[in-house]
Amino acid sequence: MATVTFDHATRVYPKADRPAVDALQLDIADGEFLVLVGPSGCGKSTSLRMLAGLEEIDEGKILIGGRDVSEAQPKERDIAMVFQNYALYPHMSVAENMAFALKLAGVGKEERRRRVEDAARILDLGDYLDRRPKALSGGQRQRVAMGRAIVREPQVFLMDEPLSNLDAKLRVQTRTQIASLQRRLGVTTVYVTHDQVEAMTMGDRVAVLKDGVLQQCDTPGTLYERPANAFVAGFIGSPAMNLVTGPVVDGGVRLGGAVLPVPRAQLAAASASSGTVTVGFRPEAVELVGPGDGVPVTVGVVEQLGADAYLYTKLAGGTTEDVLHPSDVVVRTGPRSTPTEGQTLHLRVREGGLHVFDPATQRRVD
Amino acid sequence: MATLALPGADNAPLSTPSDDGSGRRRKGAGGKNTTAGPVTYVLLTLTALVAVFPLYWTVVAGSHTNSEIAATPPPFLPDASLFTNFRLALEQAPIGKAILNSVLVSGAITVGTVFFCTLAGFAFAKLQFRGKGLLLSLVIGTMMVPTQLAVIPLFMMIAELQWVNQLQAVILPTLVSAFGVFFMRQYLVQSLPDELLEAGRVDGASTFRIFWSIVVPVARPAMAVLAMLTFLTAWNEFFWPIIALTTANPTVQVALAGLGSGYVPQQGVIMAGTLLGTLPVLVVFTILGKQIVGGIMQGAVKG
Repeated sequence: MATVTFDHATRVYPKADRPAVDALQLDIADGEFLVLVGPSGCGKSTSLRMLAGLEEIDEGKILIGGRDVSEAQPKERDIAMVFQNYALYPHMSVAENMAFALKLAGVGKEERRRRVEDAARILDLGDYLDRRPKALSGGQRQRVAMGRAIVREPQVFLMDEPLSNLDAKLRVQTRTQIASLQRRLGVTTVYVTHDQVEAMTMGDRVAVLKDGVLQQCDTPGTLYERPANAFVAGFIGSPAMNLVTGPVVDGGVRLGGAVLPVPRAQLAAASASSGTVTVGFRPEAVELVGPGDGVPVTVGVVEQLGADAYLYTKLAGGTTEDVLHPSDVVVRTGPRSTPTEGQTLHLRVREGGLHVFDPATQRRVD
Repeated sequence: MATLALPGADNAPLSTPSDDGSGRRRKGAGGKNTTAGPVTYVLLTLTALVAVFPLYWTVVAGSHTNSEIAATPPPFLPDASLFTNFRLALEQAPIGKAILNSVLVSGAITVGTVFFCTLAGFAFAKLQFRGKGLLLSLVIGTMMVPTQLAVIPLFMMIAELQWVNQLQAVILPTLVSAFGVFFMRQYLVQSLPDELLEAGRVDGASTFRIFWSIVVPVARPAMAVLAMLTFLTAWNEFFWPIIALTTANPTVQVALAGLGSGYVPQQGVIMAGTLLGTLPVLVVFTILGKQIVGGIMQGAVKG
């Protein structure tokens, strides 16, 4: 068990014009489950590979348990990794796959057998120990990959999108299993995913990356309630938060043909450089009001999900520019008596549901 | 090569259910097995006959005299004289010793070539080092240099080492081949995922341990193919052995050349000797053929 620290860790690939990971600063507590999340190419996998020792660190350093491991070989770091495609040794049985690292470390035969059997019991793999990977299903292979990490009893688990090759149902099931297994073993875990639902449900804290730069690292609740910038606001949550930029008018921001009220202090701080302001509100923070009140929108597509319905609407009214390039606004409503396509609705943002961002810096303004 | 990165058994059926509409157009190209028709059987039978004929004729000619072979119609069946001709061949040339020498030479060359070529192929396919591209081009470039060009300097070298008429003179110059290096590199580039090597590194294996415990088992089918090709080439090699060795300590091809050198060459004896010299190759093919198995990589990574 150990803490993990990224101290301005930077990775620049040869011939690249910008760093894949740019001065990453991250402190991970002992026993914590930290999720690295972001879109493709954001540097999350590179960060994990830097921690594993599979990728060089060009600047800064990485510490495991307070020890600088920036120059250390993977085997000297006391880590275990689960790969996206499992990377099981095809010519070895399940038991041999799990015991390979122990064998290399010189662990005795009896001890190896005991640890493999323990891990197999935890992961329900007892009946498959003599099988080759090709005779296993996708879910079983995934568990063998987990088992290979567990038997090592390492200081840190590294997981690189371990669920992305499973079907949707198995993914949800395994997600819960991994999270509870991690709580039980109490091993510091760094988990990479591009799926924000996975990130929100599994992590003690979630670090959001974009273009190699850390955007925000906080608990799932804080990321959702108080996103640090417009990117995090748009990335976390499904469907995404509505983000609309409009000109500042007296008392608020003009959206389509109406004015959305914004507190004066936030308005002044956010619009200082550009005269416009970006407002964000989640689909569930919107309520429908009567005509003459609120922001008018025209309903496009209606998605019925059973428990909820999502309305994909466009801002109505206002200038020619607004009509030609209307912004999309997603609204969550109850499943019954949903509006029909083409209908005009009036929206209001619930108390406390409005987020304000500076369009120039994209930062949150409170 | 039927072994490259085959999809896992559980993936294969995924494409079939939705293919109903396009199944007819893609006949033969998809996963469906089509039954072979009579034309296929006729063609296959003809090909098999053409392939087997030289061996058959060796057996027939090996059991007859020059005049019997030249008769019209020629003999069609072998008879017991084959064993007489075997004895004559063994008396006229040191074929027993030659076979032993050839087994030693070809065996050593095969083991050496397969080991070194897999090692070098792995380095070129998966390791990062300065000058990799240039070195690979150089290795491939040597394939364009004809053997004949190297014969004189090579002979001077082995003469200097006093290896003339010694087996190591035939073994050492061919312990690694550019073709083998390239062949193993191509196989490993395609069929060995980087993650498998990274998993090995995280598990604590050294580069050589990764090579030995992960790369070699994965590369087994390609190694078997290379071994068969190398063994056959080494066994059939005539040009360099006849320069470096004498008929006193020959390989099979050198000894067989001695059989045909009389005033009136006896075709039957030559054929019987050739048959004796070919049998070990058939044995090697039977053993190595079993190693060429499909789907060695199945289950390693989810593709």
